[in-house]
Amino acid sequence: MGKRLSAGQRRATILEAAKALFAESGLHGVSVDAIAERLAVSPATLYKHFASKEALYEAVINATACSRESYVDAVLRGPSDFASVLRRIARTFVDSVAADPDFLRMEMHAVLEGNPFAGRFFENRWKHFSDYIELGIRELAPQGKAAPVDVPSASLMFQGMLREVLYVKCVYRSERYRDIPLHQLVDRCIDLFLLAIGYRERCLEGAA
Amino acid sequence: MAEFDAELDARGLNCPLPILRAKKSINELQAGQVLKIVATDPGAVKDFEAFCKQTGHELMNSQEQGSEFVFLIRKH
Repeated sequence: MGKRLSAGQRRATILEAAKALFAESGLHGVSVDAIAERLAVSPATLYKHFASKEALYEAVINATACSRESYVDAVLRGPSDFASVLRRIARTFVDSVAADPDFLRMEMHAVLEGNPFAGRFFENRWKHFSDYIELGIRELAPQGKAAPVDVPSASLMFQGMLREVLYVKCVYRSERYRDIPLHQLVDRCIDLFLLAIGYRERCLEGAA
Repeated sequence: MAEFDAELDARGLNCPLPILRAKKSINELQAGQVLKIVATDPGAVKDFEAFCKQTGHELMNSQEQGSEFVFLIRKH
């Protein structure tokens, strides 16, 4: 680490290196010494910026939270029906995760480690979809635009589906799905999801 | 806080729902009319700034009132 870095730049460099290590091995699998070694600095240098490894981990999570996806553009750039908005916010989300798959790896480790702080963060990251889907189905079903499905299960199904798409495309890089572009795979899964919830808003609109 | 022509209760909703609801509510207003939005998601502050920037509507006021965020948006 060069001496000419500002405090902010040093902090950013530390966060970046720590994130990569936490993504590889989780909070408990990484020592302060390992982070210091990756950065070619002494542990004392790290402690100047972060009081503990746990504080550094929380800073990594918070930095990710601050750069959360903006769905404003996704909402504004097309039709407002349930399915169209769902497709656009899903694309925004997968693009963001695909650009930085460390998010997924950290989430996997957090699940295994049972870290409550990280657990809340990752749950919130998916909450946009849970809330959107649950409220959407609750409004559509009484109008006959969706089947009266079990709403929390439908939301969970969507989340599991999208997470699995991200795993096979961005983490495992599975051969089985190699030839299907990410957006196409997401769209195909959303098609299946819409079938599963008996979505027929467009049919009704078309008939009107 | 200034007068308004329509009100949107977005309390308890997380992005993208407040933006989506606001988009639909503003579509029902005439140019120059004002929509008041009450939200609880802290992310709504940045979201409504971006919303107005992208749509050309005027963000007349953005206030934090306790645990709520109140926005006044004039349709362009």
